[in-house]
Amino acid sequence: MKTIYKFATLTLMMLAVSVCGFSAVKPENLVRGVVGPVTANTSWAGYSNLALIPGAALIPVTSTQTVFYLGFTAGTEADINNMVLYTTARGSLKITAVTPVKLGGVSNPSIDLVNPTVCPVIEISAFNPCIVRLDPTTIVLSALNDYYLVVYFTASDTNNNSLGLTDPSFGQSSLRGGYVSGTDDSRLSVGASIPLTLSNQPDGLMYVMTD
Amino acid sequence: MKTFYKLATFTLMMTVLAVSAFAQERTTSRTQGPETTLVNLIEGQGTINSSGNPSWDGLSEFVLIPGAGLMGASSASTALYLGFTGGSEADIGNMVLYEVPRNGSTVLKVEKVTLGASSSPSIVLTNTSTCPTQPVSVTNPCFVRLDTVKLALSPLYDYYLTIYFTLDTNNETISGVGQVSSPGALSGFSLYGDQTRVGVKGALPTNENSDAAPFFLAYITNE
Repeated sequence: MKTIYKFATLTLMMLAVSVCGFSAVKPENLVRGVVGPVTANTSWAGYSNLALIPGAALIPVTSTQTVFYLGFTAGTEADINNMVLYTTARGSLKITAVTPVKLGGVSNPSIDLVNPTVCPVIEISAFNPCIVRLDPTTIVLSALNDYYLVVYFTASDTNNNSLGLTDPSFGQSSLRGGYVSGTDDSRLSVGASIPLTLSNQPDGLMYVMTD
Repeated sequence: MKTFYKLATFTLMMTVLAVSAFAQERTTSRTQGPETTLVNLIEGQGTINSSGNPSWDGLSEFVLIPGAGLMGASSASTALYLGFTGGSEADIGNMVLYEVPRNGSTVLKVEKVTLGASSSPSIVLTNTSTCPTQPVSVTNPCFVRLDTVKLALSPLYDYYLTIYFTLDTNNETISGVGQVSSPGALSGFSLYGDQTRVGVKGALPTNENSDAAPFFLAYITNE
C-alpha cells in the first residue's frame, strides 16, 4: 500500500510539472503584422511616428496584454523621447484614452542597436532588420476601438539622424502608418485629435501580438 | 508522511476523474459541435482570377506564408490546398516548405511536402476522382489537398511553400487560381529552375517587387 501511495505522489508531481509546461503562453498575432521584405526609411530626429492598429482588423484571440514589436534597419542607437498608445472609437480621430508604452520600464528608452543582446545580427540592415519587443502593455484591444501607437524620436539628435526604421515593401499588413515632422504628438490628451489619417503601411511597427 | 501520501493519492484520483469527465465532454462536443470544423490558419485566396499564368514548365513558385498573418487557430498540422484552372496534368518535380525568420530569408528548416506520399507527384487534372467537375477552368477550379504537413505554423516564423514544375510539355499548359487583385495574406513569385533544394542556413531568393497573390496555393487550413 505504501508503494502505491508513493507511486501516486510521484505521478501527481509529474502531472503538476506537465500542466505548468502546457500553460506557458504561446504568442499569437492580434492583427496581421508586416508581411514580406522591408526597406529602410531613415532619419527620424524630431519625428512623431504613428501607427494605426484598427479594431476592425483584430483577430479574435484572447489576451490580457498587448505586445508591440518595432523594426530597425539602420543606425547605432534609437533615442526615443516618448511612446504612447492612444485609443479612439472605431473610425474616429478623437482620443478617448492614453496608455504609456515602455521598454525596460521607461517610455523614453535609448535602444542600443549595436548590442548583440538587443540585435542578434550585426550590422542591422533592411535584410537583417532588428526587431525589438517592447514591454507588454496592459491593455486588451477591443474591436470597438482603434488604437494609435505613437513614437516620438528626440529632435536634434545625431543618433536619430542616421536611424532607419522598417518600411514594408508589401501592402498586406492590416496596420497603417504615417509620420509628422517637427512636432511631438506623443503628448496629446484625452479629447484631442490624432493629427493625421494614416493610409500607408507603417514604418517601424512590425507586429502586434499577445506576447 | 503517511497522511501526505494518502492526500496525494486522493488528489491524483480526483484529477484523473476530472480529466476523464472533461475529455468526455470534449469528445461529445467534437462529434456534435463545431470543433471538428475546418478552419483557416491564414487568409487564403478569395475570388479566382487565374490571369497572367506563365508557362510553368521548368519554373518554381515560391509562396510566402507569413507568420505575421496567422490567425491564432491552434493546429499541430497544416493542410495545403493547390488550385488549378487549366491543363491536363501537373508534373511536380519537388515540393518543400521552408521555415525562415520573420521577414527574413535564411532557411532554418526544410519540411518535405507530399501528395500521395510523393514529393514529385503527377496530378491528373482530367481525372474525375481528382477534379470532379470537368473540364477544369476558371469557373470550375480544381482544388487538390496535399498530404497533411506535420508542422504547426508559428507566428514567430515565416514559411515558403516552394513547388518546382518539371520541364515538360504538360506543364506548359497548366494554370493556377491565383493573381487576385486583393492578395489576402499570401504572396507568390516564380523563378526559373528547381528552387526546392536550398538547404538549412541557405538563403532564399528575395521577392522585392510584388505582393501579388500566388498562382497555385489557394488555402491553408488546420486539416
